[in-house]
Amino acid sequence: MIAVELRKLARRPRTWATLLMLDLLPTTVAVLLAVTHLGPRPGQGPAFLSAVLSNGTLFSVAALAIVLPLFLPVAVAVIAGDSIAGEAQAGTLRYLLTRPVARSRLLVAKLVSVLVFVLVAVVLVAGTGFVVGKLLLGGQPLTASTAVTSVSGSTLTPVQVALRTLLAIGYVALSMIGVAAMALLLSTFTDSPLSATLGALAFLIGSSLLLTLDAARGLAPYLPTRYWLSFIDLFRDPILWRNVERGVLLQLVYVAVLLGAAWANFSSKDITS
Amino acid sequence: MTRRWRWLIVAAGSAALVALPLAVRLLPVGHSAITAAGLLARVQASAGVQYSGYAESSGGLALPVTNRFNSINDLFGDRTQLRVWWRAADDWRVDAVNLAGETDLRRDLSGVWSWNYESNTAARTQQDTVPIVRLPRADDLVPATLARRLLSHADPVRATRLPDARIAGHDTAGLRLRTGDARSTIDHIDVWALPSSGLPVRVKIYGRGDTKPVLATTLLDLSTSAPKASETAFTPAAGAKVRYGQDEDIVAAVDQFGRSHPPAQLAGLSRRPLEVGSVGVYGQGVTLLVAVPLPPRLARTVAGQLSGTPGSSAVGGGVSVGVGPLNLFLSGEGIDDARWLLAGTVTAATLTAAAAQLPPADGFR
Repeated sequence: MIAVELRKLARRPRTWATLLMLDLLPTTVAVLLAVTHLGPRPGQGPAFLSAVLSNGTLFSVAALAIVLPLFLPVAVAVIAGDSIAGEAQAGTLRYLLTRPVARSRLLVAKLVSVLVFVLVAVVLVAGTGFVVGKLLLGGQPLTASTAVTSVSGSTLTPVQVALRTLLAIGYVALSMIGVAAMALLLSTFTDSPLSATLGALAFLIGSSLLLTLDAARGLAPYLPTRYWLSFIDLFRDPILWRNVERGVLLQLVYVAVLLGAAWANFSSKDITS
Repeated sequence: MTRRWRWLIVAAGSAALVALPLAVRLLPVGHSAITAAGLLARVQASAGVQYSGYAESSGGLALPVTNRFNSINDLFGDRTQLRVWWRAADDWRVDAVNLAGETDLRRDLSGVWSWNYESNTAARTQQDTVPIVRLPRADDLVPATLARRLLSHADPVRATRLPDARIAGHDTAGLRLRTGDARSTIDHIDVWALPSSGLPVRVKIYGRGDTKPVLATTLLDLSTSAPKASETAFTPAAGAKVRYGQDEDIVAAVDQFGRSHPPAQLAGLSRRPLEVGSVGVYGQGVTLLVAVPLPPRLARTVAGQLSGTPGSSAVGGGVSVGVGPLNLFLSGEGIDDARWLLAGTVTAATLTAAAAQLPPADGFR
C-alpha cells in the first residue's frame, strides 16, 4: 500500500510543480545576489544571505532559510491536506476502504507518502541551493580566504560544514513533519483538501503572529513555529544545542499528538464519500 | 477498540506530555541556610567563579532616543539572548545571539576582540585603549556581571533573604536589596545565586511602585565546570575583515575627545574615581547618574526626540523626560550649541539639580 501511495505521489504533476516552485525562489535569489552583489542590511533578510556573497557554500542553508517561513509549509500543507480529504472529495476513499485493508494501514501509507515528500522537498531545496550557490556565488576552490566562517567568527572545515548542513536538513524536515501532521489530522475531519490545507496554514500563521506579541511570551515555548529557524544555531561555534533540542522535542510532541488524533478520528470515522 | 477509547488514549497521552515539564518545575527546591549578609558577601566576591551558560534578559524601557543610542534601546527594551563562558575577570566570552547572526565579545589579558557576523568584521581593542566610560553592552546584562555591579557597594543591613528557587537546574538562594537613597527611582533588586559559590544566576530590578521588573536577566542553562581556554580564545577567520581600534561608541568618544569638565560631585553624588574624561558617572549600585556633553549636531537630534516624547516637559531651559525608573534631562545650549544629556535612575528633581551644578557643555577637542 505504501508503494501504491508513493507511485501516486510521483505520478501527480502537482507534486513536481510544487517542488519546482520551491526551488525557483532560492534560485532567483541566488541569481539576483550574483548579479547585484547586494546582500541584506544587518538585521534584515533571511539568515546567511550576507555570508553567501563571499562564499556560496552556505547557500544550501540560506535556501532553506528563504523557503522555511512560508513556501515550504504551504507546499507541505497542500500535499498533506490532500492525502485523505482528496480521496474523499474525489469519491475514492470509500472504494479504498472496501479493500481488506485496515484504516490505520491506509493512514500510515498516506503518512509515509507525505514524509517522503517532505524529505524530498527539503533535500531538493538544500541540494539546489548548494549547486546554485557554488555555480553563481562561490565556485572558487576552498582556500584560507574562501573558507566558511561560522556565525561565531571561527573557521569551519568542509567536513564540519557538510555535517552541520545535514543536521540542518534533518531539523527542517522534522519541523515540516509537524506541519504535515496538522494538515493530515485536518484532512481526516473534512472532505475538502483546501479546508485542511488552509486550516493547517491558519494554525501556523496564528503561531507566528503570537510569537511577535510580548503578551504571549509565556506561550512562545509551546508554539509550533517557535524553534523553526533555530537550525542557524548549528552554524555557531560551539553549536548552540539548547533551541535545537527544544525544537526537536516540541515537534515530536506535536507530531505524536496530532497523528494520534488523526488515527483516533480516522479509524472510526463514518466514510460517506 | 471503540472510538471513545481511541480518543481517551490520545487525550491521556497528550495530557502526560504537557504535564511533564510542569511536574519537573514542581520538584522541591533544596533549602539553603545562608544568611542575607553571607550571600551578599559571596556574590560580591564571585568574579573568579568559572562557569558557562546561556542567559536571556528582557527589558521594558522604550527610550525616546535613537540614532547613536539604538544599542541601548535594544538592550533595555527588548529580549537579549546571551552565551557566556567565564574563566576569569580578564578571560571571558559573551555572545549576543539572534536569528540573523551574533555579536561577540572576547576578553583576554591584552584587550578585547569583538565580532559581528552580519558585517563579517572582527575588531581588536588593546587593553591600553579600552574605554573607561562607554555605552552599555550586551555583556553588562550577564546576570553575574550585572549583580556584582549593582551589589558592589551594597549595605548588608538592607539585604533580606528571598525564598530559594531552582534556576537552570540548580538550587539557588534569593536575596533582596532595598534602595535606601531617596534620590533613587529604583525600589529594590532581587538576586538569586548559588549559595556555595555566590555565582548570581538571576537578577530582577524593580522601579518604585512597580510590580513587574523593569529589567530581568536569568541564566537558563548553567554549567559550573571551568570553560576551556579554547572556548574564550579568538582568532579571526581568514575571510573576516579585521580592524584595530575602539568600537564605535559615542559616549566613549565624547569622554575621550570632549572639552567639558564635569565636577567631582553632582546633586550630592560623587563621581567615580579614575574617571577623568568629559563624561561624568556619579553614584553607585543602582543609584546612578550620567552626564554626557553632546556635540551640537547630536544635541539637536536628541532635543527633537525628547521634545516630541509624550510626557516631556520644559524645565529650566532644558527638556525633562521620564521612562519608567529612568529619567533624562537635556540642558539648554552651552558653548557652540553643545548640551549636557543627563540620564540616571534618580528622580527628575535630582537630575534638574545636577544640571544646575554643571558648567556649560563644550564641544570636541
